[in-house]
Order: sequence, then C-alpha cells, then structure tokens
Amino acid sequence: MNDSMSIPHLILNASLVVQLVMLLLLAASIASWVVIFQRSFALARARKAQKSFDERFWSGIDLNELYQDVPEQYEALGAEHVFRSGFREFNRLMPKTRSSEAVLDGVQRSQRVALSREEDRLNSHLTLLATVASASPYIGLFGTVWGIMGSFQSLSLAQQATLNTVAPWIAEALVATAMGLFAAIPAVIFYNRLSAIASRLLGEYEDFAEEFHSILHRNLQGRGSNPTA
Amino acid sequence: MAKRTRRVGYGLPVVLAIGVHVGVLLLTMLRLPDSDPTPSSSSVVQATLVSDVTATDQAQYAQEARARAAQRQAEEQAQAQAQQAAEQQAQQEQEQQRQAAEQQRQAEAEQAQAAAERRQQAAQQAAQAKAEAEREQAQAEQKRQQAEAEKQRQAAEAKKQAEAEKQAEAEKQRQAEEAKKQAEAEKERQEEEARKKAEAEKQRKAEEAKKQAEAEKKRQEEEARKKAEAEKQRKAEEAKKQAEAEKKRQQEAAEKKRQAEAAAKAAAADALNDSIESEQERIANAQQSNQASNNFINLVKRAVEDRWHLPANAGGGLVAQIRVRLGPSGELLAATVTRSSGNASFDRSATQAVEAAAPFRELQQLDAGLQRRFRDFNLKFTPGDIQ
Repeated sequence: MNDSMSIPHLILNASLVVQLVMLLLLAASIASWVVIFQRSFALARARKAQKSFDERFWSGIDLNELYQDVPEQYEALGAEHVFRSGFREFNRLMPKTRSSEAVLDGVQRSQRVALSREEDRLNSHLTLLATVASASPYIGLFGTVWGIMGSFQSLSLAQQATLNTVAPWIAEALVATAMGLFAAIPAVIFYNRLSAIASRLLGEYEDFAEEFHSILHRNLQGRGSNPTA
Repeated sequence: MAKRTRRVGYGLPVVLAIGVHVGVLLLTMLRLPDSDPTPSSSSVVQATLVSDVTATDQAQYAQEARARAAQRQAEEQAQAQAQQAAEQQAQQEQEQQRQAAEQQRQAEAEQAQAAAERRQQAAQQAAQAKAEAEREQAQAEQKRQQAEAEKQRQAAEAKKQAEAEKQAEAEKQRQAEEAKKQAEAEKERQEEEARKKAEAEKQRKAEEAKKQAEAEKKRQEEEARKKAEAEKQRKAEEAKKQAEAEKKRQQEAAEKKRQAEAAAKAAAADALNDSIESEQERIANAQQSNQASNNFINLVKRAVEDRWHLPANAGGGLVAQIRVRLGPSGELLAATVTRSSGNASFDRSATQAVEAAAPFRELQQLDAGLQRRFRDFNLKFTPGDIQ
C-alpha cells in the first residue's frame, strides 16, 4: 500500500493547472448534485400537487368554488396555474363579448402562457445538468492531457524511463478525467430522468388544459343555445 | 387545502450534495488504491569507455589550474616546514640540555655504584675469612668425633676380651680381676690421655681461631684504609673527569646547535624538494583523473562527428562554437550557438549533429565532480574536425 498513490495525495501534489481543473470539476459536480436534489424534490412535489389537484378537479366540485377557494397572495403552480389563468381569463371575457370563439381564444391563449411558464419552471436548472454532463468530461480530459504533458517533461529530466517515474504523473493526470466523469455521469443520468419527469408533468398539464378547454367550450356551447343559463 | 410552500429551497439540496461528495471522498480515502511499486529496472544504456588519451583544451586548462593550485600548496607547505624546522631546533636544544643533565646524573650514579661495589668486595673478603675459620672449627670437631669413636671401639674390644677371659678362665678370677684392674687402669689412662689430647687440641684450635680472627681484623682494617684512600683518590679523579665532561658537554651542545641549524637548513631544502615532488605527483594524479574526462570528451566528439553532415556550401575556415548543456543522465538540455561561423546552414548542421548524438549516457559513469564539469561544455566545429 503506497500512501503517495492515494487519491487525496495525488490531488494535492498535482500541478496548478490540473488542480484548477479539479477545482472546477468539483464545483460543477457539487452544483449538478444541488440541482439534482433540488429538481428531484421540486418535481416530486409537483407530481404530488398535480395528483391532488387532479382528484379535486374531477371530484365534481364547482369550478367557481374551486377558483375562489384560494387564499390571497397565493401563486398557483402546475395544472392549477393553468386552470386559474384560464378560468380568470374566461371570467374576464364573459361580460365583455358574446362571441364564444373570442372567449375560447382568449382562454386558450392565457392557458398557453401558463403552460409555457410551467414548462420553463419545470425545466429550470436542468440545462445546468446538461452542461455539466456534456462539458465536464472534456474539462477532465484537458486536465489529464496537461498532466501527461508535465509527466513527459519530467520524464525527459529523469535518468531512467521506468514505470516508477511515469506512474505518479499519469495517475495524477488521470484523476482529472476521473473527476470529470464523476461529475458527468450523475448529471447525465439525472438529467434524463428529471427531464422525463418534467416532460410527463408538462404532458399532463397540457392534457388538463385541453380537457379544461373542452369543458369551457361545452359550457359556452350550452350558453350559446341558452344565453341566460 | 393547497400547500402554501410549493417552492423548494436550495438549503437542503446543497447540504445533500456536499454530503454526497464528502461520502465519496471518504470512500476513496478508505479504499486506498494499492499499486505495488514496480522494481526499478537496471540501467538501460551501458556504454564502455575506450581508453586512449588525447589532451583537450579543457583538460589542459584543468591541468594548468591544478599546477597553480599545487604551487600555492607547495609554498604554503614550505612555510609550514620552515616553521616546523625552527620548532625542531628549539626542541633539539632542549633535548641536548636534558641529555647533558641526564649524563651528569648517570655519572654520579656510576660513582655511587662503584663505591657500593667496593664495599661489597670488602664484605665478601670478610665473609671468606669467617668461612675459613668455620671450616677449621669443623675439622677440629671431626677429629674429636673420631677420637671418641676409637675410644668406644677400644672399650668394646676390651669388654669382649674380658668376657672371653671370664668365660674361658672362670677359675682364673683373680687373674681376670687383675686383668680387669689393669684394663680399667688402661682405660682410665687412655681416657685421660684422650681427654688431654682433646683439650690440647681444643686449646690449640681456639688459639688458632683467635689468631686467625685477629689477622682477619687487621686485614679488614688495612683493606678499609686502602679502600678509603682509593675512594678519595677516585672521587678526586671523578671530580676532575666531571669538570672535563661538563666542558666537553658544553662544547658538544654548541656543536649540536650548529648541527641543528645546519639540519634545519637542510630540512628546508628537503621540504622544497618534497613540495616539488608532491607537485609532480599531483600533476600525475590530475592527468589520471583527466583520462576519464578525456575519454568522455572523445566519446562525445566521436558521436557528434559520426552524425555531422557537412553542408555542401561549407568552405574551409568556418568555425562554429556550440555550447552543449547536459542533464544529469547525459540527456541534451540545450545546444546553442555561442560563436557563429557566419554560415547559417553550417551552424544548423553543427547543432543538429549534437542533437542527433545526444543523449550522452556515459556522463553517468563519471565522478560527481567531473559530471558537474561536463554538464556544460563547448564544442568547436571546423570542417573536418571537432575540437
């Protein structure tokens, strides 16, 4: 067991450029893990909220009651956000126009805006994971190449080109690549997983928006035949 | 109903992320990678030095420098030896004084010994005289013992005769009684005579012993007188001799001082000769140590010459000097043109020849000092030759 070949020892004895690369990779890894945890919690919470809202919406509750059963300063998220923006636009347009198409257009537009915001919210910081996943192997590779350059420079000064003279340098250089992969692999895995969850949630939101839109459309068609309803 | 805190904070994720990294780091520290160090292989390049000596500029410079150093050392040694010679003179004088004192003591001791020997001789003579007196006394005692033995034998014979007469002639008791009376009378007479003789002998012997003792005493006294006189004469003679010896010693001391001064001068001359010899030896040693460096220089020259391709336009009279700097194992660190020949292609061919000939692994076989010297040297390139 050679203590000089332990990974912390190698990191501490690396050249400055390689150490900077390692520091960058460590920061990227920590940031990616922060994003992984934060997104995991946020998406899990969003799924839970979506599930509860879905149950409430389809429980036969009156839409006005559902819309008004909300405290002040409350920022709705997810499908609820889509529902509230659409219903608010519907309520605002209903007194101003008798054209059902204009009302439905306005509702659809406001729902599209809400969906876009929800998509942006769900996918926020996932780009960081994508960046870390794609860039950190290259950064690590740069550190490795730099370290191997240093190793060959020192090899030219060594008397005998044995494996002993080369091995510490190579190991030290390869630590950079290892750190790059260590940062990139979880970032790739969780980026795919989290983006899949986010896109599924977004799909659910869109489904809900279409269903809500169809409900409003049904109501408007009913009102068109019976305007006093 | 609805959750008030929909937004997820970053505090817990940061803590968890740092926890993940610390855990991974701990795992790597716990499981240290075991990479057995491979044993270092033996030397890859093994070059042999060819032993032929040609003097190079550097070697000559080195020799000159060494000769100068040797001269300085010789001068210092000569001074030191002169000081040593002066010290030796002082020591010699001190030793001479000590020797003179010791000679005086020895002479006195010899005189005392001679006196003691004389006394011993006198004592021996007295002892001889005493021994002679004792021998005479012992002879007298023997005579007495012989006389007594004769008396006993005679008495025994007389008794036997008497008993035989009594047995043979029981009747003739009277005759026997008479014979007994006669025998007793004879015995008494004989005994008295023997006693008288013994007493006379004793008196004579005592007188003789007394005479001898007196004679011995006289002789001893005479001898003592003679010895005392002889000792007085000898002491006077010895005093004279001592006075003469002291004069001689003073003269000898003066002579020794002169001799020591001469010896010091001779020693100084010898020291000069020695320094010259040691200088020559050092020059010889320097030449021997230069042999290895010459070999190295020759190897370098040969290797560079083999790889030197003269450019086509290189005429005669071109001289380029290349400064060669080597690493500790003989690898080339830099080959720079210190003095250009004016022909760029010529200079380039020279540097390329040095680069092609490197590395010079033979540097490792030199001594540490020589290694340091040959880590940086100049090579002079002229068409047809490298110096």
